[in-house]
Amino acid sequence: MKECIAMLLAGGQGSRLYALTQRLAKPAVPFGGKYRIIDFPLSNCVNSGIDTVGILTQYQPLVLNEYIGNGQPWDLDRLYGGVHVLPPYQTATGSDWYKGTANAIYQNINFIERYEPEYVVILSGDHIYKMDYSKMLEFHKAHNADCTIAVMEVPWEEASRFGIMTADEEGTITRFQEKPKNPESNLASMGIYIFTWTKLRKYLAEDEADPASDNDFGKNIIPNMLAANEHMVAYPFEGYWKDVGTIDSLWEANMDLLDPNVALNVGDDDWRIYSRNSGMPGHYIGTDADVQNSMITEGCQVHGKVEKSVLFAGVKVGAGAVVEESIVMPGAVIEEGAHVSYAIVAENVVVKKDAVVGCTKEQAEEPDKWGIAVIGEGVTIGVGAKVGPKAMVVKNVEDGDNQW
Amino acid sequence: MVNVNANALGIIFPNSYDNLVPELVQKRTMASVPFASRYRMIDFTLSAMVNAGIDNVTVVTRENYYSLMDHLGSGREWDLARKRGGLTIIPPYAQARNKLYHGRVEALSGIVGMLEKQKEKYVIISDCNVACSFDYAAFIDAHVASGADVSMVYERTVIPEAAKADNYTLTVDEDGRVTEILTNDYRNGVQNLSMNIYIMERETLVTMVKDAMVRNLVYFERDILARNLQLLHVQGYEYEGYRARISDLKSYFDENMRLLDPANLAQLFVEKRPVYTKIRDDAPTCYMAGSSVKNSLVADGCVLEGEVENCVLFRGVKIAAGAKVKNCVLMQDTVVEAGAELDHVVTDKNVTITEGKKLTSDSFPVYVGKGHKV
Repeated sequence: MKECIAMLLAGGQGSRLYALTQRLAKPAVPFGGKYRIIDFPLSNCVNSGIDTVGILTQYQPLVLNEYIGNGQPWDLDRLYGGVHVLPPYQTATGSDWYKGTANAIYQNINFIERYEPEYVVILSGDHIYKMDYSKMLEFHKAHNADCTIAVMEVPWEEASRFGIMTADEEGTITRFQEKPKNPESNLASMGIYIFTWTKLRKYLAEDEADPASDNDFGKNIIPNMLAANEHMVAYPFEGYWKDVGTIDSLWEANMDLLDPNVALNVGDDDWRIYSRNSGMPGHYIGTDADVQNSMITEGCQVHGKVEKSVLFAGVKVGAGAVVEESIVMPGAVIEEGAHVSYAIVAENVVVKKDAVVGCTKEQAEEPDKWGIAVIGEGVTIGVGAKVGPKAMVVKNVEDGDNQW
Repeated sequence: MVNVNANALGIIFPNSYDNLVPELVQKRTMASVPFASRYRMIDFTLSAMVNAGIDNVTVVTRENYYSLMDHLGSGREWDLARKRGGLTIIPPYAQARNKLYHGRVEALSGIVGMLEKQKEKYVIISDCNVACSFDYAAFIDAHVASGADVSMVYERTVIPEAAKADNYTLTVDEDGRVTEILTNDYRNGVQNLSMNIYIMERETLVTMVKDAMVRNLVYFERDILARNLQLLHVQGYEYEGYRARISDLKSYFDENMRLLDPANLAQLFVEKRPVYTKIRDDAPTCYMAGSSVKNSLVADGCVLEGEVENCVLFRGVKIAAGAKVKNCVLMQDTVVEAGAELDHVVTDKNVTITEGKKLTSDSFPVYVGKGHKV
């Protein structure tokens, strides 16, 4: 048996990332030069000593399945336990897609029970943070809780965007409000839960029996447990945490890696973030290249100017090209003289010679509508073409065309 | 055949030519010498074999093999962690009957029993002192087509000065058949220099080794091939592609520097034939504001704040602000502190160059040994 296993919710479409999640689930979106978002919760599990993880997938699972594989890069290829991808399945009595986050766990009760865990950690596949779940588990045990929810203080003005917990001095949660208009606390739920398994199983079964339920942790399970006076505690977390569910937050989180004052350090030997390796040689910086305040990884070839940007494996930046304040995902090519500014360029995109993608806020014709430009996977931006700020491009742009 | 697996097994000698780079092999083998920013020399041989469908590889170690064992592990990174075949590392052993081997024949005699039991028809033998993207599949095909007993790979090149006391050259006739093998050829000018890659039938090799042991012969090339060129059909196979041959510290330095030409880099790292290595899970390399990096090959995990020009940086190198590093090869986790200046320096793993230190040369590289603080 295992004392504690983790279930990672990775089924979300990530519709707000639109062009980036056309062909892959949100947790598989590349992040930080050589990672995918899911590497963070997975590495947290391994570094916390959790060696059994179920990954619940539903939307566009191909890339994610292939990426996880047998779990070896995370040291999760185990004889007993390890990582398992759990898609919805058919049974003798019918089949169901996962109706909600709680239903996804409900449908995999058999998987969980095989390990006879005392505790189950429920995680999301769309947050960037480093956290020791074993400390949270100690907290859960010390408080003799039925459910522990990780919370962090957020600025009051942003509190209405989150699920807000009200807790007493001992950390016992007294109230939970999903995106309240007038928050009475600024402790936001991070979407990280530890449940005592017997309790969670009971509430999952009850929730499943309720046809009116959305089968969702935030909307149903947590309020139901609270209403039934189960012992629920808030585990305060300090440190970097970011939901990267939107283009802006994904861009910001990548930029945070470049800011020495932000507490997100992926180079920490004591808390490594593991990922599947590209297998490419070291990157080459040319004689006329100029690289400032950027992150660059294996297989890149840089001949132009790169400033405040994150380049993923195998990215090529031609002579005279400029990449600034941007994220360029694996295999993308920025040809000579092209200019990429405040943009997210997805995998295998080609930005041809002298094309322009995005611009700075100052350069924007309508600064109010300015934002991060996004080029979807495999798209070609033609020679001399122009893609405006905040554009979402999923189809090729012909030579010389403008797209706003 | 369903798969493209080759009907050949590989044998790699990691210690051959250790004597050429005494500095680098104090605590390792030629096979585990770090090369090209994130690799070890054996990665090129091993990956090329795997890419040709060879999935049964034996590494016959001689000494100093700890770092090599650590690097290879179960062979998983090369897809050689298999139930059948896969990677086998033979540690050195000395018993009353077996002494620490000198030549290939002695080394092979130790594993002749194992060789007899294998299933592959052919055996490929290689050293690790040359890094190249060698196409073993084409080599196997050429050997089979030639009908030869043994095929050996050579290149047309000037013999490096340092290798003049330790090489084999060959003479080939118009059909490519080897008519003469010279040991320790010291002639100037372009010669047919052996790359020490051989192929023959497994059973032929077993017979050769058994026979040679009875007659107390030690060296495969000198004692078996060179003496029997009338009897054996030995075919030459010319390699014309890009290669990095390590024959002394200077050539080690030069071969790293040659990779700063993207055309050369592209020839050593061919997309269709990836080079695998042990994964370290470093973060991407950080270029801090104010850093200046030009014409350099850089692995992951580096933090660069100072000036870097014409360098090969291995994983985890740190260059502090105000440091100037030119024409250097800095191995894993080298730290260059503020204000230090390096020119033509090769640092081994875990070296620290302290604040303000100047270490420069104008041509011959200065070498700083593993773990030293200068």
